[in-house]
Amino acid sequence: MTLLALDTSTAWASVALYDGRDVLAEETWHAQRRHGDELFPTIERLLAYARKSLADVDRVAVATGPGSFTGLRVAIAAAQGIARGAGASLVGISTLDVLAYPHAHSKQRTCALLPAGRTEWYAALYQERNRKWMRRSPFIVATLPDLCRQIGTHTLFVGEMDAEAEQLLRDLLGPKAIFAEPASRMRRAGYLAELGWRALEAAPQAKLGEIEPIYVKQPSIRSSFDQPFAPVPSGDAALGLPRRS
Amino acid sequence: MRILAIETSCDETGVAVVDDGRRIISNVVASQLAHQETGGIVPEVAAREHLRTLDAIAQTALRDAGIELRGVDAIAATVGPGLVGCLLVGANYGRGLALAAGLPFVGVNHLEGHVYANWLYEGEAAPPEPAIPAIVLVVSGAHSDLVLMEGHRRFRALGRTIDDAAGEAFDKVARLLGLGFPGGPLIEQAAKNGDPSAFPLPRGSGGDRYDFSFSGLKTAVMRLVRSLEAKGEVPVADVAASFQKAITEMLAEKTARAAAEHAVDTVLLGGGVAANLALREEIAKRIGHPLVVPPPRLCTDNGAMIGAAAFFVLRHRGTEIPTAVRSDLKLA
Ligand SMILES: [Zn+2]
Repeated sequence: MTLLALDTSTAWASVALYDGRDVLAEETWHAQRRHGDELFPTIERLLAYARKSLADVDRVAVATGPGSFTGLRVAIAAAQGIARGAGASLVGISTLDVLAYPHAHSKQRTCALLPAGRTEWYAALYQERNRKWMRRSPFIVATLPDLCRQIGTHTLFVGEMDAEAEQLLRDLLGPKAIFAEPASRMRRAGYLAELGWRALEAAPQAKLGEIEPIYVKQPSIRSSFDQPFAPVPSGDAALGLPRRS
Repeated sequence: MRILAIETSCDETGVAVVDDGRRIISNVVASQLAHQETGGIVPEVAAREHLRTLDAIAQTALRDAGIELRGVDAIAATVGPGLVGCLLVGANYGRGLALAAGLPFVGVNHLEGHVYANWLYEGEAAPPEPAIPAIVLVVSGAHSDLVLMEGHRRFRALGRTIDDAAGEAFDKVARLLGLGFPGGPLIEQAAKNGDPSAFPLPRGSGGDRYDFSFSGLKTAVMRLVRSLEAKGEVPVADVAASFQKAITEMLAEKTARAAAEHAVDTVLLGGGVAANLALREEIAKRIGHPLVVPPPRLCTDNGAMIGAAAFFVLRHRGTEIPTAVRSDLKLA
């Protein structure tokens, strides 16, 4: 059995192959906005490294954000197509869960952060409880000062932070802000693969079309055709509140 | 050769199975209704809807065709032009399907799809193929292109719109008249009971070039409606009919001149605005060539036209088959 893990949640992308015990191959790269062009060549390269074909793949895990809506849809659409074509089962895993997962052993309260455009950030808090590593907050979209108001204790920050964001967190929280080493802050699809494998062991997969991004922000209006675009609908429906919070 | 083809460039989610680029085996199109409520297309909303529905629509298209994925020879999807977030959904789903099923993937230019919609048919008996070279007019909410088709997949641009697309002009006038969205069919319906010569509207010449410009006409309609409103009730049917007459004459004049000035066998239409009956009649009476127009449901965006174009991409490929999404692709 082989699992293919796909993550195009942000400017960073990652793909891995996993057999339930070991990561067979993995690639993580800075794709910026080129996910659409680079995802499939990367998948084919990893299959070649691992001497596998998609015929061997019977499980697919995909990162569902929160993150860049367009970026997320690249991997989710690809994952739906691959799962359909290969007859594989598909599972969606939150990108923030993937970020926090390798820090479970730290036993420290962990905050996973990803940029949400302008001054806002996507975040979720994780902590061990009853010996179980769990997400302890909903998916949040907030500025760093707003986020820090909800953080009372020492917290390990992981995710995509630039130097400016790191400094702001230090200013806001002082010694309570702890930072993982840059390389261990990043997302790797190997972790997504482990989480996805476990999720598929625990529960049957949903319908393919039900795997979609975790939309925690309103859609922004952007015109490519200069058509008469309407204002964004208001209300909870447009917010697409997270399904698993 | 059977091709499963996907179209998600704008607000229609379409999947079809097409045999040898011509015979429609199945053709499923889901129009996104959310945009009627907002009176226009919100790209993010459209992309969300494509992702939610595409897999189920693809399953329906296969079921309607009575085949499984194993019975397909290639997968095609629109890679441009269009809304990039929407294109990425269809293209990546299609590439995933193709890679997993061990099939070739063909990226298709949406505008070539509108041209090759003229090669499609349903049922057993194949009508003759349109004769080429041809003059092609592709008119929709996003495009107004006048093209010389010299041979299969050999296009030479003659003219295009320098401002609004023809379909946009329909949408804007429909909104001005309080008719709703999308404007094309609503204007056509309203115009049926109107007098096309009720109000004189400018045709704009644009000189002897083939480019179109609709902003002058749009402004004139806006002024007309404002002055009618000041006087009392707006005769919606008469305004709609006068506008439709003006815009179809503008499109027909350049199309007919292009057909007269080039040695072609046929005039072909494509795109949502080509479903307009008044446009077809206006062009037909001005040209000495046979006019070929797809049935209305193949003029608007659909998967079958992508399946037709994909077949001709495979048959007349130059070098590499395109796979990358390019939101600004052109016909020539
Ligand atoms: Zn179109």
